[in-house]
Amino acid sequence: MVHKSADEKLLSDLRSFLGDRARDGDFELGLYSKDGSVLKGDPMIVCLPIDTEEVQQIVLACRKHDRPFLARGSGTGLAGGAVPVGDPVVIATAKMNKILDVDIDNRIAWVEPGVLNLDLSRELSPLGFHFAPDPSSQQVCSIGGNVANNSGGPHCLAYGVTSAHVAAVEVVLPDGRVTLLGDLTPESPGYDLRGLFIGSEGTMGIATKVAVRLTPNPPEVRTLLLDFADVRDGAAAVSSIIAAGLIPAALEMMDQRAIEIVEAFVNAGYPTEADAVLLVELDGLPGGVEHGVEVVRAVAEHHQVGSVRVAADDAERALLWKGRKNAFGAVARIKPDYYLHDTVVPRGKLVEVLEKVYQIADAYDLIAVNVFHAGDGNLHPILAYDADEKGVLERVQAAGRAIVTASIEAGGVLSGEHGIGLEKRDYMGMLFSAHDMATQDLVREALDPDGFANPLKVLPSGSRCSDSFGQHVPDGAWV
Amino acid sequence: MKNIPIDLPIPTEDLVSCVSCGLCLPHCPTYRVTQEESASPRGRIALMKQAHHEGAINEEFVEFIDSCIQCRGCETACPAGVQFGSMMETTREALATQTRYQPWWARLGYRALGWRKALRVGSTVIGIMQRLRLVPRRLGLPPIPILQRSLIPSGSDVWLFTGCIMDAWMRDTHRAVQRVLESTGAGVAFPDKRASCCGALHVHAGLAPEARRLALRTMQAFPGTAPILVDSAGCGAQLKDYGHLLGTDSARLFSERVLDVHEWLAQHLDDLPKKSGLSPRIVVQDPCHLRHVQRSHESVYKVLGRYVETVSLDDDGLCCGAGGAYSTFHPQIASDVRDRKIQAIEETDAQEVASANPGCLLHLRSGGLEVRHPLEIVDALITKDE
Repeated sequence: MVHKSADEKLLSDLRSFLGDRARDGDFELGLYSKDGSVLKGDPMIVCLPIDTEEVQQIVLACRKHDRPFLARGSGTGLAGGAVPVGDPVVIATAKMNKILDVDIDNRIAWVEPGVLNLDLSRELSPLGFHFAPDPSSQQVCSIGGNVANNSGGPHCLAYGVTSAHVAAVEVVLPDGRVTLLGDLTPESPGYDLRGLFIGSEGTMGIATKVAVRLTPNPPEVRTLLLDFADVRDGAAAVSSIIAAGLIPAALEMMDQRAIEIVEAFVNAGYPTEADAVLLVELDGLPGGVEHGVEVVRAVAEHHQVGSVRVAADDAERALLWKGRKNAFGAVARIKPDYYLHDTVVPRGKLVEVLEKVYQIADAYDLIAVNVFHAGDGNLHPILAYDADEKGVLERVQAAGRAIVTASIEAGGVLSGEHGIGLEKRDYMGMLFSAHDMATQDLVREALDPDGFANPLKVLPSGSRCSDSFGQHVPDGAWV
Repeated sequence: MKNIPIDLPIPTEDLVSCVSCGLCLPHCPTYRVTQEESASPRGRIALMKQAHHEGAINEEFVEFIDSCIQCRGCETACPAGVQFGSMMETTREALATQTRYQPWWARLGYRALGWRKALRVGSTVIGIMQRLRLVPRRLGLPPIPILQRSLIPSGSDVWLFTGCIMDAWMRDTHRAVQRVLESTGAGVAFPDKRASCCGALHVHAGLAPEARRLALRTMQAFPGTAPILVDSAGCGAQLKDYGHLLGTDSARLFSERVLDVHEWLAQHLDDLPKKSGLSPRIVVQDPCHLRHVQRSHESVYKVLGRYVETVSLDDDGLCCGAGGAYSTFHPQIASDVRDRKIQAIEETDAQEVASANPGCLLHLRSGGLEVRHPLEIVDALITKDE
């Protein structure tokens, strides 16, 4: 493959202030052509800025040379949000990884977008605080990426997703201006542009500093592992736990295949014979937590639980979570590729939709692995496959569409936390009317009238009039 | 332009075993200090995929592949169990055999490691130059002995592997290890000059044929069935890999006899002398080839913990940057990686560091830390008690 030559003038403009941090090597461009999803794009140039001013200069240079751009954090996104389509300049913010200020009195920390989620919580730990959103990829995903996708995580059941934990964002807008969205006061007047920006997947600008809220570490934590001989009992127990009045800090479910691959990695004593396990975490004041443990135990027994294991110490707790949080990567133990959805269904419909997922996978001769945030009904059905198998992509695509359809028919939505990106863009019409999408498009155009920022993402082509950078769809994409 | 043809003989099933989830990134020392995909395990596998697919590379590819320390911290972090180390070794071997990777002078240097006389003469020259103050301190070399006393065997219960650099520069460490082994009642045998180098650095450099030659020669130096103990984590990992490197039954049987010396001592804890008196706090640095490759670093804590209060680091066992010859060829990255390790060490309030690998030990010392081999610390405490 011979890569097209980069826009030489743009490259030399970028090099004038970035030096060797503007890259166009054939191999290196290939490394920034994909994220954690299965899609692949084609970046023109990769920039590695170290501060707001450089990001601003890159955006201005791109505008000058009529070249779109997109921001990239750690590249772990699962919906292709950071896959470069339309030959854009990739602005990788990974080097902007400083924690700038920690203000315990106001429970705010200012951080750069490249700070890794878990690094932040580890840094805060001696002070007794953490950053609450904890995506499974938290050891590597960046705060900037969390902001872009409004990321969730197991503990967002009780604590809320990223938007609830970001007070303000410094943003380089698509026109190159730098502005601050939101502020540090609890309530600010006017439109919540901060709220609009969080979850906009880089289509409204690039976050260059983030004011995150700090959450105190709970005084007491208990983690329980419940196993069930029938996945339906496990799913029913989820609804019953919440119906009993508890909001666990986390309430996760894994099915038999997930348990098997995860156990092969962590050796945490996950019951590989069980049809499903629930990982339940309770936190708060000791009395409340003890009461919660008893409630969960009683509910679980009502639903034919096999055994209830309470993690004895922090080490055991950490090991159980390590298993859960590495589940996606561990899928490679079954097949080399996976495609997953991120639909959310009402908790009461979990059993019904799960059964449909298995039926759909069977019908298309695929392997389904389920590991998900059961507490808020956020499914992550993973279809494991080998891309080299002939015709498999079509089957995966059809099965994916059937799963989304089943979820939406059950009263659910398209995405809980992974974002829409490129991969789920063309499903938007299943959930939103043309009118809805045109309205969303008007909002996007208000911030990026010329379509420079992360083009061709989130909204299906056609819902906007100004897709000025063509309709190039990358290899392997089935959107 | 990808203008250098290459045939990367990595099995496709190995290449596709990586789903590029990225969970390895924070566990990679070179990614940690650069934050660049090209310096990450996921990125390096993607490079291999590109080269495998296209059959051609360029200097850019070589530079990225060469920047890997081969600590294999990504392997213990990988939920899919991707065998990164063997893919990297295959890639470097392809580079060394099919391209101009590893110039003649580097090959000569590696060759000399397995040639005890050359190493001894070279070391003596450096030792004399050091005494004449002709060797800059920033190179971080330890005081190299000019005249070496021989190691004296005391029996045949266990073998102690002596190696190349460690034998030439740090024979006193072997002596300390021997005394600790003897304190359990075991008699220690030493191999002859056929075991003058394990070949680990050669494998890392892509010089696998040379490594195989050294492996065959080394195996001949350990007749019988007695356990072969190693006090260098890097060498131990290599000796344990002979079965894989040579693919023969005799190599596999040989590898099964190999133990890190702490592993053996952890099985004989009750035979070690009792401890007495106050114990200092010691930070244990886990060498990557003990933690991520041999996966037996816990035994160091068991043995050392009998005599001192051990402090472990909370950096997920991230590499210190030594990487065998890596710190010589990539001084800047190696020193950036070491800075992280030093910071983690300084955040504990312990006075001294224990490292079970000579490369890490020397690299950390040249960063200004007090570092000894764990068994030198144990030996000093036992000897004091006597």
